[in-house]
Amino acid sequence: MKEHAVVIENLSRHFGQFKAVDRVSLTVSRGETFGFLGANGAGKTTTIRMLCGLLMPTSGGGSVAGFDIATRPEEVKKHIGYMSQKFSLYPDLTGRENIHFYGAAYGLARTVIRQRLETLAERLSLHEFIDRRTASLPVGWRQRLALAVALLHEPAILFLDEPTAGVDPVFRRRFWEILYELAEAKITIFVTTHYMDEAEYCGRISIMHQGRIVELGRPFDIVRRLDAAGLEDAFISLIRSREATNA
Amino acid sequence: MRRLRFIAQKEVHHILRDPRSLTIVMLMPVLMTFLYGYAINMDIENIVLSVIDHDRSSESRRLDERLFHSKYFSRPSVAIDERDPQRILKAGQAHAVLVIPPGFAAALHGQETVALSLTIDGSDNNVAAAAQSYIDQVLARYFIDQLPPKVSLPGVTVSPRILYNPDLKSSHFVVPALVALFLLMVSALLTSVTLAREKETGTMEQLLMAPVKPIEILVGKLLPYVVIAFIDALLVLAFAKIVFGVPFVGSRLLLLGLGLVYIVTSLGIGILISSLVRTQQVAMMLAATTTLMPSVMLSGFIFAIKNMPTALQLLSRIIPARYFVTIIRGIMLKGAGAEVLAVQGISLIVLMAIMVAIAARQFSTRVN
Amino acid sequence: MWRAFAGLVRKEFLQVFRDPNMLRLIFAMPLIQLILFGYVTRTEVKRIALDVYDYERSSLSREFVNAMQAGDYFVPSRIDAPLVDLEDRFKAGTSEMALIIPGDFSERIQKGAGVTLSLVADGANSNAALVGLGYAAQIVRKFSKERTALHSPIEIRSTVLYNPDAESVYFMVPGIVVILLTMITAMLTSMAIVRERERGTLEQLLVTPISRVTLLMGKIAPFAILGLAEMAFVLTVGVLWFRVPFVGSPLLLLGLAVIYLFTSLGVGLFFSTVTTTQQQAMFFAWFFSIFAILTSGFFTPIANMPQWLQTLTYLNPMRYFLNIVRSIMMKGAGASELLFDIAAQSVYAVVIFTFSAVRFTKR
Repeated sequence: MKEHAVVIENLSRHFGQFKAVDRVSLTVSRGETFGFLGANGAGKTTTIRMLCGLLMPTSGGGSVAGFDIATRPEEVKKHIGYMSQKFSLYPDLTGRENIHFYGAAYGLARTVIRQRLETLAERLSLHEFIDRRTASLPVGWRQRLALAVALLHEPAILFLDEPTAGVDPVFRRRFWEILYELAEAKITIFVTTHYMDEAEYCGRISIMHQGRIVELGRPFDIVRRLDAAGLEDAFISLIRSREATNA
Repeated sequence: MRRLRFIAQKEVHHILRDPRSLTIVMLMPVLMTFLYGYAINMDIENIVLSVIDHDRSSESRRLDERLFHSKYFSRPSVAIDERDPQRILKAGQAHAVLVIPPGFAAALHGQETVALSLTIDGSDNNVAAAAQSYIDQVLARYFIDQLPPKVSLPGVTVSPRILYNPDLKSSHFVVPALVALFLLMVSALLTSVTLAREKETGTMEQLLMAPVKPIEILVGKLLPYVVIAFIDALLVLAFAKIVFGVPFVGSRLLLLGLGLVYIVTSLGIGILISSLVRTQQVAMMLAATTTLMPSVMLSGFIFAIKNMPTALQLLSRIIPARYFVTIIRGIMLKGAGAEVLAVQGISLIVLMAIMVAIAARQFSTRVN
Repeated sequence: MWRAFAGLVRKEFLQVFRDPNMLRLIFAMPLIQLILFGYVTRTEVKRIALDVYDYERSSLSREFVNAMQAGDYFVPSRIDAPLVDLEDRFKAGTSEMALIIPGDFSERIQKGAGVTLSLVADGANSNAALVGLGYAAQIVRKFSKERTALHSPIEIRSTVLYNPDAESVYFMVPGIVVILLTMITAMLTSMAIVRERERGTLEQLLVTPISRVTLLMGKIAPFAILGLAEMAFVLTVGVLWFRVPFVGSPLLLLGLAVIYLFTSLGVGLFFSTVTTTQQQAMFFAWFFSIFAILTSGFFTPIANMPQWLQTLTYLNPMRYFLNIVRSIMMKGAGASELLFDIAAQSVYAVVIFTFSAVRFTKR
């Protein structure tokens, strides 16, 4: 496994005239926890979808887990785990059935799935609700199930798109504790979030605005550079000034 | 009176503003008449007949000509080499095979007797029966023409006469009954959906609080639909006359009167349904399954009631469409008058009375 | 790859049996159709109400009236009222045909002269009139041959193959098979795929290494299986309960059903690529099915439709399969007799399925 988990160079995606992602470049090292920030509509989700092999770039390129995202998306998919904003679990299936299904989708044998399910259930405290239909579960529990699904095939890189949206603070905290454990196990985590306190848990962050990366670095460095009171302040003033220059 | 007109006007506004229901109401009847008149055509024609002539006389050739002269039979599209009727039918190359044996001409001139063999594919029982019937007719007429004048046919024969629809066009049978269905659709289906919608949006409650009598609300809301129902009926009748040539022999006034009874009955059903449901969607589904479907199946529209199991025959007695279908066919095609249609008319009136009573009670419980 | 496929199929079955809408469709549809087409939509003409005006009332005329009851085609009623009321009974819908036996019925027969009976039919019910006249002519001919010394030198001997009792249900059950197969596969497949898209789970699926092809197969296989199961169910009920004949080869039917499956699954796939909600998908599939059924020759023979419509039916894949099912069940037709239909069906299957599959995998 290469040193860099994610490498993107001048990645762009246009929809007609609209430039959703405009020449984005960055690298994420193995084992890093990288925070991908930006206002709504800045292009974060589009970028992630390209990295996961769901969308073709218009220009530029990159590699994930050492595989080119444009030419070898199938290989990329084998090495990543993805948790979408909506948690994408089948509402009419139980947690256990969901996990078994996705395990099969990743080509795991039933016995393997069963073993890993036990481990994950322990770790993420799933036992209480794993046999209930996911439609009936509160957001926090669904979130944990979705994470279990993303981890089942033991990917090297995790892409998490707003994984804590709509989740209460207790669950959020617990979630990030789990992420820390994963990071210690050298799993690369690429996460988008709107919560500034979560951003501060990341090793490095980037801030996107209208398809471009306008800031990149450690949270502490960014705050100091922008002479802000905290990360939230830094974010807001940055976005505001950008809007002003564009107006 | 003024309030009534106001409510009616508001309803008309609603209808005109909703293009979907408007198309349903105007376009559908025309489309369906077209569809039923043409696609579901029960007139059996173009039966593929294969004639195997072993006699090869001028007489047998003349019979062959006669058979294909009418629109009843067509020759097979591909020439058939096969001589075995069974194999011809099995391969689906013809619906029926007629074998004319040698000695046909001789038998005609009184010398011997001879038997033609007719093998029919019975899969479609109607086609089979029609094929049999047509061949009988053609042969009988052919034979009569062969006889010297003034000599009557020996034995017992039948001279058929057809009243009211001499060309036996099935469109004459189907299309008038469609009027019954459309009236039902507008009066029961649409009204139940409209009333349910008012319930859903809560505007009915609003209306009831206004200084308007509930009966005025009801009549005002339903009046436009009665008008629409009539327009639809007229549309279908016009279409029937112009496109399909369906005659109108009897009394328009009688049809109008009984039509009104039928409409009121259907309205009652619509009101009843709307009082039982909470949303438009359920209203539509309930109306469709309890009124439209049974009426299509059990009113005698296409399928003969007396051939159904007894349970269904009994069920058909409480379906208003059953009586109205007989009435409209009687009046349009046969010129039936009030005395003749008394039983149907009275049954319909009784149903109407029952329906109105139930609907009125449902509506007033809601009001209070 | 097989694991993914098996997982997909298992998931789909779980979902189908937990979805009340789909369950309703799967279980209610065959039952309703069987009851409907088995009991309600009887197209055979039987028990025609026949008024008999017998002006002779001899033993021979009574025998004749009894003969008219043969085969359950007519229900004769002796009418004492005057002839003028004949039409009234037609108008009221009380009777459909009237037979008039003259006063010199027996006399003429004994003298060796011919006797012609007047038979009046209510043409409003065109089909019943046509068929009724045919039945009457047959019965009269038979009576004439047996009871009078005189008969026409030309006789017709008729044999009705394949459905001598003229049961319309024999003709309907194959149609039910075809309808069900079509509706289940087209409707449910399109609904299931659209549902994935609606919920957003399609995206999650696309992130997994499952190939598009495997996804496609995993989506349609469950419904193919369901469709065949329904077909088996209807055939069993048809044969055992309604006593519908099954003369031909079940294996041939199965093989051709599989070919047809590709067509209807392809149609379902296609609809899933052009609709955005399950409701839409259901409506599209519904309208397609209705239109296909009406022009397939299920209710009325294609030969009866106007010429332009007849030509159009060649574009309807259902038409060929319906003919195949009917021919195999009722006539015992084999592959050699059905070559044209089989060829046409195969062409449609390949074209439609490939087109839809390509469309599906491209997105």
